Amino acid sequence: MAEVRLVNIGKTFEEGMQVVKNLNLTIQDKEFVVLVGPSGCGKTTILRMIAGLEDITTGELYIDQKKVNELDPSKRQIAMVFQNYALYPHMTAYQNMAFGLKIKKVPKAQIHEQVMRAAEILNIQDILQKKPGKMSGGQRQRIAIGRAIVRRPKVFLFDEPLSNLDAKLRGQMRIELAKLHKKLDATVVYVTHDQVEAMTLGDRVVVLNEGEIAQNASPMELYSNPGSKFVAEFIGSPKMNFIEGKILLLDGQLVFRNNELQFDLSSLNYQNLKNHIGQEVELGIRSEDIYPTASNLKNYVKVKGQIIAIELLGNEKLIYAELEESSLIAKVKAQHEAQIRSSIDFYLDLEKAYFFSKENGQRI
Amino acid sequence: MKKILIYIFLSLAAITFLYPFYWMIVASLAPESEIGGLWFLPTKLTFASYIQMLSKIPIGRSLLNSIFVASLTTLGVIIFSSMVGYALALMKFKGRNVIFYIIIFTMTLPFQITLIPNYITMVKLNLVDTYAALVLPFLLNAFAILLFRQAFLGMPKALIDAARVDGCSDFRILFQVLFPNIIPTIVIVGILTFMGSWNEVLWPLIVIRDESLMTMPQMVTLFSVGGRAESQLGVKLASAVLLALPIMIAYAFFQKYFIQSMASSGLKE
Repeated sequence: MAEVRLVNIGKTFEEGMQVVKNLNLTIQDKEFVVLVGPSGCGKTTILRMIAGLEDITTGELYIDQKKVNELDPSKRQIAMVFQNYALYPHMTAYQNMAFGLKIKKVPKAQIHEQVMRAAEILNIQDILQKKPGKMSGGQRQRIAIGRAIVRRPKVFLFDEPLSNLDAKLRGQMRIELAKLHKKLDATVVYVTHDQVEAMTLGDRVVVLNEGEIAQNASPMELYSNPGSKFVAEFIGSPKMNFIEGKILLLDGQLVFRNNELQFDLSSLNYQNLKNHIGQEVELGIRSEDIYPTASNLKNYVKVKGQIIAIELLGNEKLIYAELEESSLIAKVKAQHEAQIRSSIDFYLDLEKAYFFSKENGQRI
Repeated sequence: MKKILIYIFLSLAAITFLYPFYWMIVASLAPESEIGGLWFLPTKLTFASYIQMLSKIPIGRSLLNSIFVASLTTLGVIIFSSMVGYALALMKFKGRNVIFYIIIFTMTLPFQITLIPNYITMVKLNLVDTYAALVLPFLLNAFAILLFRQAFLGMPKALIDAARVDGCSDFRILFQVLFPNIIPTIVIVGILTFMGSWNEVLWPLIVIRDESLMTMPQMVTLFSVGGRAESQLGVKLASAVLLALPIMIAYAFFQKYFIQSMASSGLKE
């Protein structure tokens, strides 16, 4: 039973820079929560405050119902895995994992048992006598996780643990981490700037922007129901496309209009748009909701563009196109013929479109 | 051809450095009558000068004194200067930089300026003619503090964070986590401190009068300059060799640690 609760947590550095603002967040027992955001959004600072490596300026932090603001990191029953692994270079893998327990004066036999069990879970028995300098990145990563497991913490804290690995290994470790979470049955707080990691690992994803929570939801909810332009843009690859325009009431019909296109909105189920007549908005649409043909689409709008680049991904390709005033990235089947510098018609599926206020970026 | 010229030039340069040293050793082993005209090898090698030296001054005792004083000073400098360096590099407190700059400033003061105040302190503390007088004033040293501070600043921050999560106190972080990873710095500080302490003449001359507490350089200086060598060059040279020997041995022993580097430590920032 280890719930982590942040109540009105704030962090201001000595230089007066406020990096975390009045944050409220509860991480349930055994939940895998990912904190994600661009660099400088405060995610690592939040993790370090939970770990006790950074003082909390304002607010209260509870781990397992106990206020831990002033408690030493080692007494918070947490374990942390660092981005650069932070293994002790002069110790073998075994000693690295055993060090924390040794300090706690755990009997030798018990240390051995705990280290060996962690080694078994991570399948690292054969490198226990190696020093970090002689290991590959993936092996170091495992030892770092092993060091965390051995402590038998109530909460695991991961600080961008996969960002130093190459792409292939990262994918592999991602799956292993997900499995590990099931096996360990522990609360996990995981920080990353990689939205793919966030989406694949988290039970819940907290998107942070400038020290504040932009949205806190399940991965699917974030993807299909982003609350703001920031979240919509941050989650999903390639990025969501945005087209600026205005909501207008023309002859009793609600329309979206800019210099190159105009289309009727009344047949769509966007009730809220009525409250934004005359306002500047941004239409957001994901690459996979843009088609080269209109077949099967009920509500769509056609736009004309010039292809400026094509990226082949295998069974799909990304077409980068420039419209008169904006640009789009469309994800189409690889078989679809397209030539750079030729013009192309796109059909945007309006039923999958999002509208955001130009003024504050909030979803309409 | 160019390469050969370079080699010849460098060899000559090396010889100008090595020859006086070589001459000192050979001359100390030559019969007294040959020293004046000696340039490469004497007709026979003899330990006469050494034997004579041993009979004239208590060199053995002073050798032990020197080893004791230099070792204790070195150990002290490594422990205390690293502690100061650690605080200056990794602990957050008000006035940290001011303290650091003051420490750096003390490096610009020549030893002669602090000589008198230090002596007065020793007198007031009743430490004149004790080992403490030889060790205490040298236990902290600005240059060592600077070297340690820089070494600690170069360590990945996460390593210290990891140690904190593991439950390490500052002392444990310093001595168990950081020390094994800054061995080159420790060795450099150690050698410089040991040599500095070993070669110190002026200070012992001021605070030590009891012959049984005298260090070797002090003894040799008194011996050579003070007339007890009875102007026998061989004996003076023998004592000079004996003076240089421990430093050479210590250097040869520690030199292999210089090779150890952070290159394969597996740290990545």
